[in-house]
Amino acid sequence: MKALNMCDVTVRYPDTDRAALDEVTFEIDRGEIMLILGARGAGKSTLCMLTNGLIPHAVSCSLTGKVEIFGREVSEHTVAEHSVKVGIVFQEPENQLFCMSVEEEVAFGPENLAVERDELVDRVERALEIVGLKGYNEKPPSSLSGGQRQRLAIAAALSMQPEMLVLDEPTYALDPVGRIELYTLLADLKRKHDMTVVIAGRDAEEAADYADRVALFKRGRLVRVGTPEELLTVPDELRNIGVPPLQVSEISEAIRLKIHEFECRDITVEGLVSHAARTIENRRAAR
Amino acid sequence: MTIFIDLYSEGNTFLHRLDPRVKIISVLLLSLLAFVLSTVYSLAALLAFIFLLLFLSRASMGRTWFALRFVLRFMALIVILWPIFDPAGTPVWAELGPVKVTEPAVWRGITSAVRVGCLACVWYILMFTTAQRDLVRALVRMGLRFDYGLTLAISLRFFPSFMATISSITDAQKARGLDFNRGGLIKRSKKHVAVLVPAVVAALRTADSLSLALQSRAYGARTDRTYMRQLKMRTFDYVALTIVTMLFIVPLTAKYLFLVHF
Repeated sequence: MKALNMCDVTVRYPDTDRAALDEVTFEIDRGEIMLILGARGAGKSTLCMLTNGLIPHAVSCSLTGKVEIFGREVSEHTVAEHSVKVGIVFQEPENQLFCMSVEEEVAFGPENLAVERDELVDRVERALEIVGLKGYNEKPPSSLSGGQRQRLAIAAALSMQPEMLVLDEPTYALDPVGRIELYTLLADLKRKHDMTVVIAGRDAEEAADYADRVALFKRGRLVRVGTPEELLTVPDELRNIGVPPLQVSEISEAIRLKIHEFECRDITVEGLVSHAARTIENRRAAR
Repeated sequence: MTIFIDLYSEGNTFLHRLDPRVKIISVLLLSLLAFVLSTVYSLAALLAFIFLLLFLSRASMGRTWFALRFVLRFMALIVILWPIFDPAGTPVWAELGPVKVTEPAVWRGITSAVRVGCLACVWYILMFTTAQRDLVRALVRMGLRFDYGLTLAISLRFFPSFMATISSITDAQKARGLDFNRGGLIKRSKKHVAVLVPAVVAALRTADSLSLALQSRAYGARTDRTYMRQLKMRTFDYVALTIVTMLFIVPLTAKYLFLVHF
């Protein structure tokens, strides 16, 4: 069973000329980190809202096609029913943290599901420990830094014990250190908790190292799906969808202009350097 | 910009440790007592008791002064204006045209001012020693519907953010050359539209995101929702509640049953 299975899905908002998602057929496997890349208006947020049933239940739009979340048809179950399978973290943590303490924020979801008190305490403590906010229980969310708020929003989703975590532009307000911390946390969630993670964003730079697969979207259409090595090492693929290419792939491209046989399919700096060194050595040996 | 919407000061005094329900009931009883008492001496005694509690709450001087300066101004205004609008009684202390200042009116003014002081200060004690989340939690435990409690909590949570948004928009408009101090009243009011419209749009966007976040976390899924933190009354709370109840019942009984003038 797939974590997400979309077949010929079209989503259209009222009073708009084009579909937010246009005949998209797409799958996400269990336990993988899927990176959804696209510029503004590519349909990333719409896709995120489809994964936990906010579309079609809470957002006004028309939906055609088949969407299955862990084998359950999206329109046949409520958002609350989907919420125990899919946790979602929106772009701005500020607007999704509404309780007066960190602990209440994390407990809010399970409380709504009438989880028993002992288990509630356990879930809150575990979620805070996973995101590195243990001991912050009584603090108001407004006193936390941007990165901590983002992690709190993740903890609030994790306390529902979902099987898939969906993050819509999670690095929007984070500095580079905060981004690395966030992606490390998401990689840990996959590795230690076997969680499926979906990251929607406009920048592949840091996320590329952590993703198992990448999906490229442009104006509501799925352009390509593949591994980071297949898609992110070709700068034109990303330029085509309005996303800045990886610096590593741009450097590779610049080297290729000088050395035509240079072909690097590695997205890490270390890989690029060793590949370049090997190419130079081969050229020397050939002379 | 400092916004003192939350007057709570962290602390570990007995007032902080009291169950918030006991504090709410006590504040209501002491407020009612301020209406039961009718002489300036009994009200002054009540005010002294409330000030003692205020002192014991160990609220910071800055917050206390911020809160009290409004009350003191209001009390002074009552003392000054009361005799002007209430000329009944003798002896007359001063007379200036139609305005007559009598001794009983002056005392009635002082009595009312002290009563207002009692009412304000007793509520400040509650605000100084009770975190907003505990207040909301107590109100829900006392019978307020969870929906309303959550609405109240969200309002309290987002009010400072909304004020910060307004402040940012105002600064941005000023940076673009909009001068809010120039022109007549109507012209200046019109200039505030440039702040109001983006602020309302931002608030609506926040409300929209908030609604999606609430639904994503199963809000309203079950009517039998559980609560992680349960309020629990201890002996100490019962003792405090009994003392305050007696403090209310004794003068009430004395006044209306034995006709003792307090």
